[in-house]
Amino acid sequence: MNHMKQLTITSDAPGAPLLLLGNEAIARGAIEAGVTVLSSYPGTPSSEIGQAVIDAAKDLPHMYVEWSANEKLGFEVAFSASMTGVRTMTTMKHVGLNVAHDPVMTACNMGVKGGLVVVVADDPHMHSSQNEQDSRYVALQGYLPVFEPATGQEAKDMMADAFMFSEEWGQMVMFRPVTRLSHARSRVILGPIERPEREAVFDKDSTRWVCQPSNSRRHRVEMLTRHARIKEAADSFKYNRLDLRPGAKLGIIASGLGWAYLEDAVRWLGIADQVSILKLGMTVPIPDKLVLELLEATPEVLVVEDLEPIIENQVKVVAQNHKIAKTIHGKNVVPVNGELSTRRVMEALAQVLSVEMPVDFRSLDAVGDEAAPLLPLRPPALCSGCPHRASLYAEGQAARKYKREFKKEVAARCGDIGCYGLGFFAPLSSDDTQICMSASLGAAQGIAQATGGPTIAHIGDSTFFHSGLSSLANAVFNNANVTLLILDNAITAQTGFQEDPATGRTASGSPSPVIKPEDVARAMQVKFVEVVDPFEVDTTIDTIGRALRSEGPAVVVCRQACQVLKQRELKEEGKRFVPCEIDREACNDCRVCIKRLGCPAILIEAEGVVIDSGQCTGCMVCAAVCPKDAIKSVGSR
Amino acid sequence: MSARPTTNVLLTGVGGQGVVLASYVLSQVAMSEGYDVKQSEVHGMAQRGGSVTSHFRFGDKVWSPLVAPGTADLLMAFEALEGLRYVNWLKPGGVLVYNTQRINPSPVSAGLATYPADIDALIRAAWPNVKCVNANALAAQAGTAKAANVAMLGAISPTLPFALDTWEAVIRRAVPPKTVDVNLEAFRLGAASASAPATECKTR
Repeated sequence: MNHMKQLTITSDAPGAPLLLLGNEAIARGAIEAGVTVLSSYPGTPSSEIGQAVIDAAKDLPHMYVEWSANEKLGFEVAFSASMTGVRTMTTMKHVGLNVAHDPVMTACNMGVKGGLVVVVADDPHMHSSQNEQDSRYVALQGYLPVFEPATGQEAKDMMADAFMFSEEWGQMVMFRPVTRLSHARSRVILGPIERPEREAVFDKDSTRWVCQPSNSRRHRVEMLTRHARIKEAADSFKYNRLDLRPGAKLGIIASGLGWAYLEDAVRWLGIADQVSILKLGMTVPIPDKLVLELLEATPEVLVVEDLEPIIENQVKVVAQNHKIAKTIHGKNVVPVNGELSTRRVMEALAQVLSVEMPVDFRSLDAVGDEAAPLLPLRPPALCSGCPHRASLYAEGQAARKYKREFKKEVAARCGDIGCYGLGFFAPLSSDDTQICMSASLGAAQGIAQATGGPTIAHIGDSTFFHSGLSSLANAVFNNANVTLLILDNAITAQTGFQEDPATGRTASGSPSPVIKPEDVARAMQVKFVEVVDPFEVDTTIDTIGRALRSEGPAVVVCRQACQVLKQRELKEEGKRFVPCEIDREACNDCRVCIKRLGCPAILIEAEGVVIDSGQCTGCMVCAAVCPKDAIKSVGSR
Repeated sequence: MSARPTTNVLLTGVGGQGVVLASYVLSQVAMSEGYDVKQSEVHGMAQRGGSVTSHFRFGDKVWSPLVAPGTADLLMAFEALEGLRYVNWLKPGGVLVYNTQRINPSPVSAGLATYPADIDALIRAAWPNVKCVNANALAAQAGTAKAANVAMLGAISPTLPFALDTWEAVIRRAVPPKTVDVNLEAFRLGAASASAPATECKTR
């Protein structure tokens, strides 16, 4: 116990156990490998990896760490730093890889000098994502080796080894956890920390780092050769493990969490002695000889992997090349959508082997389905006092006024990725579209250009700087009839308060200039640019209204701090929010405050509408909405 | 020592109730006592006032991080509705311990849905082996209602094979230094409440 007490993620304590989140284990692996540069854009479920490395860098002076403006920048910084010979990494979620895809595809060709690991966390079941996609398709496209950890321990060990592997082969490694690996805690035995003594020197080899076709044709041949050799080495890769059982009825190939569920499933079904298992730690490229051995030793094969049939299709190629006509099961019995689970793997095994299920999951589902109508859903909501609620409410009111005045609807209200995405839910119902990072402004332009507009887009500061700058330039360039609300709380709140270009400090805490969205908009020749405090409700509604009536693109910056951070600040100063309260005499229980704002601090109790003083931040937005003037600050008593 | 089978615990509640911290304490306690541990939760969107679940498994060897439906030995519900919602995750004979606190989901607050009128009766009808605890009241008695999650840990502590010393040592390290005493008191009150039998449960 006392031993554990002192341990942290940067402790050089080989052999000591530590309870770590999967993402922390990944970070620890990188620290053990002596990673020197981390550049990343946060995104669930990957964010804690970058955060843990950034926190660790305070104890490790050889490191450079940054929150990058977006994943493309994050990748470019890590890749080019690798050209100087040091070990580098970038982390992102699956959709972040779409943003980084362009440089990744050229970097695959070029190869690397210092070890480069690109961690891409996939999110099966879309726990916190707009889509479900399998990043391994990009690896196939770019001939990148993919490492998939199955446990926290393996995540740590494999990550440390990934840097050496990358250096050995001169190719970056894609490291692919899934949500249930990233966000699962387990016991991890620490390894030694390597202190790199390399000097970063840029390798000025322009035939290598310049993608002129004359160079790139050669790069591509080199990449293909590299990949073929990695493929041969895959058979002896230490995280690929074949466990052949004589007389096995089924061969199973599993990777990542799929393997963990499989180990539970075969025991539960009582068939552990009837199956041969090939556990793959590297899933692109697959080890042909091990696969062939399994194919030859078992009557049929099942592939268990989260999301797409990446392993399965490669296995089918091996079978075809060797004229093996055995059945290879995979996505025919394991759903391609959603995340794997012990249940799903059991159901697949039961189907393939015709064995009885020990638990009647369907009757359990029926119990749940029967109870469901009685159980109100509990969707996530914007926090009490969130300034986004105020901004989106004002936006809705301005749109209604516009309709009344011009007998014409605002054609669309386009939302974006961030906490404010929760504005989609009633009662704000603020979003007609949500697509991807910074697509609000693109979507608002498309709909405005097709219909004549006007349209509204709203976007946070981090998302605006992520990929909204060129969108705003496009709106000005093509004179789109759009109003852009920039919800500026000067932080990337949703993923856990990472710094961004509007914050005024870097990831490591040193000061940097605050880039103000209104300055950007003015520099881009937007004619209507105003800044409001969304807690000043009437002014905000009026300003958005004038923006809607103005010609061409307009920008309204809604500036107010995230109240979660504000609360932390107050607490440090020994202060607290001054909440609001209801004047019982004045309140006629019309519940307009609830119907319009849906603030979690406003509750209906036996005596009527009440404000929970523990939750209320005193933003006074409900007071502005109340038709009876029945909401007052406790401070005004 | 004979092999210790894996024990499955599902924790459910509402974002902000401290479900994640409680899961962390459970994991540290089990690990300190030499068990293999896996604990899984969902971050991000689910935290903001939404329904939160956390899976906690311990034993000699734990393979996967998720509890399967119908296999939980213990369902630890920090809010009554979130207990009823996950009753079908319990295995036959499994126990549901719930906090008699009602937190209205946002659609209920907005008047778009209703909270089940007699949630306690519904829970009793849905599951035979039920206990409850007024964790918020116990925590308030200890000094702050914010320690309700630790009072919940106290309430379920008799159902798990961990030593009191281990619980206390882990809680000491897991909570902010200034709140150690309050949290330890909340844990003790939770443990002493011995979780009231179902007939005395009254969610409010």
